[in-house]
Amino acid sequence: MKKLFVITLALIVMATSGFAMRGSSGHVNILYWQAPSILNPYLSGGTKEIEAASLIIEPLARYDESGNMVPWLAESIPTTENGGVSDDLKTITWKIRDGLVWSDGSSFTSADVVFTHEYCTHPEGGCAQGQKFEDVVSVEALDDLTVKVTFSIEKPFPYGPFVGAQSPIIQKAQFEDCLGTAAPGCTDQNFMPIGTGPYVVTEFRPNDVISLEANANYRDSAKPGFATVTFKGGGDATAAGRAVLETGEFDYAWNLQLAPQVLQQMSEAGKGQVISAFGTAVERIMVNMTDPSPERGEERSTRAHPHPFLSDINVRKALSLAIDRNILNEIGYGITGKPTCNVVPAPAIYASTANEGCLVQDMDMANQILDEAGWVKGSDGVREKDGMRLSILYQTSTNAVRQDFQALIKQWWSEIGVETELRNLDASVFFGGDPGSPDTFQKFFADVEMYTNIFDGTDPEPYFNLWKCGREPSPENGWQGGNIPRYCDEGYDANLSELSKTGDLNRRIELSKALNDQLMQEYIMIPLIHRGRVSAHSNSLGGVVLNPWDSELWNIADWYRQ
Amino acid sequence: MFNYTIRRTLLAIPTLFFISLVLFLLLDLAPGDPTAQLPLTIPPEVREKIRLALGLGEPFHIRFLLWLEQFFINEPLHLLTELTGVDFSGDRQRVISWQSRSPVMDIVVQRLPQTLWVVGMSYVIGTIIALPIGIISAYRQYSWFDQIGTFVSMVGFSIPTFFTGVLLIVIFSVHLGWFPSIYDTTHVVTDWSSLIVQIKQMIMPTMVLALYNAAQISRFMRASMLDNLNQDYVRTARAKGLRENVVLLVHVLRNSMIPVVTVIAIGVPTVFGGAIITEQVFKVNGLGQLLITAIQANDIPMVQTLTFIFAVLIVLFNLLADILYGILDPRIRYE
Amino acid sequence: MADHQPENEPLVEVRDLKVYFPVLAGVLRRKVGEVKAVDKVSLDIMQGETLGLVGESGCGKTTAGRAILRLNDITDGTVKIKGKYIHKSSLKEIRKIRPTMQMIFQDPQESLNPRMTVSAIISEPLTEHQNLSKKEREERVFDLMDSVGLNRDFATRYPHEFSGGQRQRIGIARALALNPELIVCDEPIAALDVSIQAQVVNLLEDLQEERNLTYLFISHDLGMVRHIATRVAVMYLGQIVEIGKSESLYSSPLHPYTEALLSAVPEADPEIERTRKAIVLSGDVPSPANPPEGCNFCNRCPKAFDICHKVEPTLTEIEPGRFVSCHLYNG
Repeated sequence: MKKLFVITLALIVMATSGFAMRGSSGHVNILYWQAPSILNPYLSGGTKEIEAASLIIEPLARYDESGNMVPWLAESIPTTENGGVSDDLKTITWKIRDGLVWSDGSSFTSADVVFTHEYCTHPEGGCAQGQKFEDVVSVEALDDLTVKVTFSIEKPFPYGPFVGAQSPIIQKAQFEDCLGTAAPGCTDQNFMPIGTGPYVVTEFRPNDVISLEANANYRDSAKPGFATVTFKGGGDATAAGRAVLETGEFDYAWNLQLAPQVLQQMSEAGKGQVISAFGTAVERIMVNMTDPSPERGEERSTRAHPHPFLSDINVRKALSLAIDRNILNEIGYGITGKPTCNVVPAPAIYASTANEGCLVQDMDMANQILDEAGWVKGSDGVREKDGMRLSILYQTSTNAVRQDFQALIKQWWSEIGVETELRNLDASVFFGGDPGSPDTFQKFFADVEMYTNIFDGTDPEPYFNLWKCGREPSPENGWQGGNIPRYCDEGYDANLSELSKTGDLNRRIELSKALNDQLMQEYIMIPLIHRGRVSAHSNSLGGVVLNPWDSELWNIADWYRQ
Repeated sequence: MFNYTIRRTLLAIPTLFFISLVLFLLLDLAPGDPTAQLPLTIPPEVREKIRLALGLGEPFHIRFLLWLEQFFINEPLHLLTELTGVDFSGDRQRVISWQSRSPVMDIVVQRLPQTLWVVGMSYVIGTIIALPIGIISAYRQYSWFDQIGTFVSMVGFSIPTFFTGVLLIVIFSVHLGWFPSIYDTTHVVTDWSSLIVQIKQMIMPTMVLALYNAAQISRFMRASMLDNLNQDYVRTARAKGLRENVVLLVHVLRNSMIPVVTVIAIGVPTVFGGAIITEQVFKVNGLGQLLITAIQANDIPMVQTLTFIFAVLIVLFNLLADILYGILDPRIRYE
Repeated sequence: MADHQPENEPLVEVRDLKVYFPVLAGVLRRKVGEVKAVDKVSLDIMQGETLGLVGESGCGKTTAGRAILRLNDITDGTVKIKGKYIHKSSLKEIRKIRPTMQMIFQDPQESLNPRMTVSAIISEPLTEHQNLSKKEREERVFDLMDSVGLNRDFATRYPHEFSGGQRQRIGIARALALNPELIVCDEPIAALDVSIQAQVVNLLEDLQEERNLTYLFISHDLGMVRHIATRVAVMYLGQIVEIGKSESLYSSPLHPYTEALLSAVPEADPEIERTRKAIVLSGDVPSPANPPEGCNFCNRCPKAFDICHKVEPTLTEIEPGRFVSCHLYNG
C-alpha cells in the first residue's frame, strides 16, 4: 500500500509539473553479495554496512568520483581561505545548509552534529569510526546551523570528522538513549536510522535484505529518481555478477572481484556493463625488517633483532626487480587493476612518478645486484652468504588470486636464487588481530607477506603515519600498530612531522611524494597492483557514477531508469 | 513408554549442558576475531574498544555463565512477555548478535519462514519422491527402473549442491530465463499470481535439495524393502492368497517403514539447520546462511545459539525417532 | 468340486517338475549357469494321505514343496491339483485357488508378520477370500484358535509375545482358516523344542482326521516322518530317489542313499541300537549347480559301478507303489 501510495503521489506530481519527478523511475534492485547486518556505521566498520547506511544518513561533506571534496549537508567546504579553518590549523567551522529536515520532518540542527561526536566518542560505545574523531577536543554548536570542531593538535587536513560515508550525522532525538553500553540494545535505531538521505528504511532484515522507499522530506523535491529500493545481500561475487550481467534480475552489483575472463564472459550476455574506478587500494608485499625466527622467542619479529638478510637493501631490491607486475595484473585483475610502483598511487596529485622503473621485470639486474652484494648461488641454486641462505617464508590470506600470485612470484624468485616457502591463512585469522594467534598479519611471523591496504578519503598523511618509528606491533602494545614492516628511519619521521604541520597543499604533495619514494626506493614494501573498485549495473540503469573515494551509492538520488 | 520418555528427556539435560559447554569452548578456542572483517583502515585501538564493547574482555567462565543466563532464563522470559503481553523479562539482557547488535532469537525467527519453506519443502518433496522409488526399485530389483533409480541416487549423493545449483541457474535463469536466480525473502503471497511467483523462486533450490534428500531416503527405503521382501512372512502373505499390492503395501511396506520413518525423523533437524550451500547459491538467506555469515564474522553469540538450537533439535528428534520406533514396532517396548 | 473327483485320481499330481535358479555373475549380471534345485520330480499325493518328503538340507525338498503351491516359479513340468493344472496359471488364478492349498512354514517366528495381531493374521485370508461379517469373522477366528489349542484371550496379542510352539499353532490356525484340502508342512517342527514337537505333530494328526486333510510333510527328521507319513519320498540333489509305503520303505530301503539315511536314525530299542551300523557316506553333497555325470549319487554311493557314472537312472516301479531310481534295480 505504501509503495502504491508513493507511486500514485509521484504520478500526480508528474502530471502537474511535467519534468523528472521523485520516484518516477519506479523500483531499483541493488545486490551486495556481502549482506549488511546493521545500518549504523558507528557500530560496524564494514564496507557493506557503511555503504548501505549511506542511502539513509549523510555526512557534512563527501568526496566525488575524482576525489574532490564536495559539500553535502554543509553549505561549503571550510578552508583557510574562506576562514572556515583557523590559521593555527586547530579548528574547523562547518556551516550547515539552511532548511534541512530529517526524514521524520524535524529540522536538522548543529545539535545533531554535536551529538554524533558524543555518540562515537563515548568510552563504552565501542565506536568503529573512532579514528575519524582522533585528536578532536570538542565539537560545539555555535548556533543552530554552525558547528565548530576543535583539535588538540595542528590539523592541516581537518576533514576527518563528519566527512565521507564513515561518519554520517545521526539524529540526536533518535539516538539520545543509545549512548555507550546502551548502544547495542537500540535495535530499532540501529536497523532503522532516521536520516537526511534520499531513502528511508521500510524493512530491515539483518544479513539479508533492506527495503527502502524515497524520503518524502528529501531536500530536492525532484529526487530521488527511484521510488523504492531493494537492497539484497548474500551469495558470492560470481552470483552477483550473474544476476546483473546475465539474468538481469538486479540493477546494480557491488564489488565484483572476479577473474578478468569471468567478467568479460558475463558482460557478453549484453544485459549490463562492468564499471571500475581506482581509489587507493594497493596489493603489496610487506618486507619484514626484523627477524621472525622462532629462536628469537619473545623477541620474534620485534626491532630487537634485524632481519638476517632482508635488512640488506640489495636483497629487497632484487626481490622487487624479479617480479613482472604486468603478468600479475593480467592474471589476477585485468581491467580492474593496474601495475603500480607506488604505495600511494592516487589521488593523482599525490602520485609519484619517480619509481616507474619497477614496471619492467629485470632478472639480469636482480641477479647482478645479488652477485655484487656477495650472495653466491650454492649447489642447490639458492644463494648464500656467510652460511645464511636466501630462504623466504611468504604468507598471505587464502584467496585464489593471492595464491596465483604466490606461485608466480615463487617461480621468479627461484630464478634469482631465492628459495620461497608459501603459506596461506584464513582471512578471518590473518586479518583478525587476535593477539593469541601466531598467524595474524600484525605478528608477521614470516619474512614477507602480501595483502591490500587503502586509506580513507584523499589525504595520505594518516597512511604515512602508519610507518612511523615506534608504531610497529610488538608484545608491549599487544601486537597492535600499523608499522607492519617494522620500519624505522629518522629522515622519514622528520618528513612526516613536517607534513603534520604543513597546511600548504603544494608542500604537502611534495612531502607526500618524498615519503612514498623513500619507502619505495628502500624497498620496505613492494607494491604490485593498484586495485580498482569493480561493480556492474544493468543497461537500463542511468546516472551511476562509480566513486572510489566514498560510498558507491553516494549519488543514488540521481539514478534513474533509462 | 511414558516413563521412558520422561527418563530420556531428563537424561538429555546434562547432555545438552555438556554440548553447550563444548560448543562454547570450541568457539572460544577457535582462532578468529569479530573485527577481522573490518577494513584495515580501522586502527587497532578502535578495534580493541569494539572488542571490549562486545564483552570479549570478560574471562571465559563469566561469558559462558552469562550466555547460559541469557539463553535459558532471559530468552524464555522474553518469549513469555511477547506471548502474554505481561512484562516478565524487564530489562534482562537477551542474547545479542555481535554483527547486528540485535537479539539473536529475533533474527532466527525472521529466518525461519524461508528455511522452512525451501528446505522443509524440499525434505517433504524428497521424501514423497523417494518412497515410491525405493519401493519399486526393491520390488523390481535389477530392473531398468531400479538401475536408473540407483544411478539417479548416485548422482544425487555424489554431485555437490553447489554444482547442481549453479547448473540449474545457468540453464533455467541465464539461458531460459524461467526462474529467478535470487530468492526474494520479502515476497509475500497474497493471491494467485504472487503464489506463482513464490513457486517459481522456490523451484530450483527446492529441487536441488530434494534430489539430495530423495537420493538418501530412496536408498534407505529400497534396502529396507529388500530386507523384508525375502522374509518368510511375505511368503505367508502370498500363501494366504492375498493380492500382490496387499502383500506389498500392507505387509512389506508397513514393516519396511519402521527404520525409514526413524531415519526421516532423525533427518528433520537438518531442515532447521538449513542448507548452507544451497541457501548461499540461491540467496535464500535462511538459517544456514545466517550460520555461515555468523561464522565468517566471528559472531560468537549467534553461532553458539544457532548450533545449540540445532543440538537441541537433534537430541529431540532422536528421542522422537526412538519413540516412533516403539510405536511402529510392537516387538519393541521401552520400560 | 471334491465330489466330482474320481476316486482313483490323486489330489496332487506332479510330473517332471523342474525348478532351476539362474546363477548370475559379472558386472552385467549375466546368467552363467543354473542351480537345479528341483530336477524332474514326479509324485502323486492321494486324498487324505500324508506324503513324507525327506532328504538332507539343501536337497530341494522345501523348493519342491513351495513350487507345488506355486510359491516359487516353476521352470518346467506340470502340477495338477484337484484335477486342475496350475503350473501355468496366472497369479490371479492361483490366488483364487489358494484357499484349497495352504502351507505351514518352518520358522513360526519369521513367517508371521510381526506387526499384526494374532486375530489379524488369522482373519486376513478370510477378509480376502470370503464375504463374512465382522462378527462372523471374529467367531471363525475364535473357532480356529480353539481348534489349535490357543486361548481366545490371546487374539489381540502380537506374535513375539508367544512361545515357539504357540506361534506354530498360530501358523496352523492361519493355514486352516480357509478350509484347505492340501497343506504343505514345510519342516513344521524343526524350529521347535523336542518337547513341543510331539504336541504339534499330534495336533496336525488330529486336524487331519477331523478335516480330512492331505499333507505333504517335508522333514529331515526320519523318525517323525515314519510316525506321521502314509508314504515317503526320499530326495537327493533335487531328485526323488525312492518312493514307497512308509512301512516297507523303512523296513527294507532299496536305494543305497535311503539305506544310508535310515542307518543314521537312532533306534529306540537299546538292544537294536547297539547293533545298528551307520553307513557313513564319503565326500560332500555335490553342488546342485554342477551335479556329477550319470547318477547324482554315484560319487558317494558305496555300491556304485561303471554304469552309474555314465547313465542317469530313472525312477522305476520295482513293486506296486514302490519306485526306485537306481541302476542296481533296473536290471
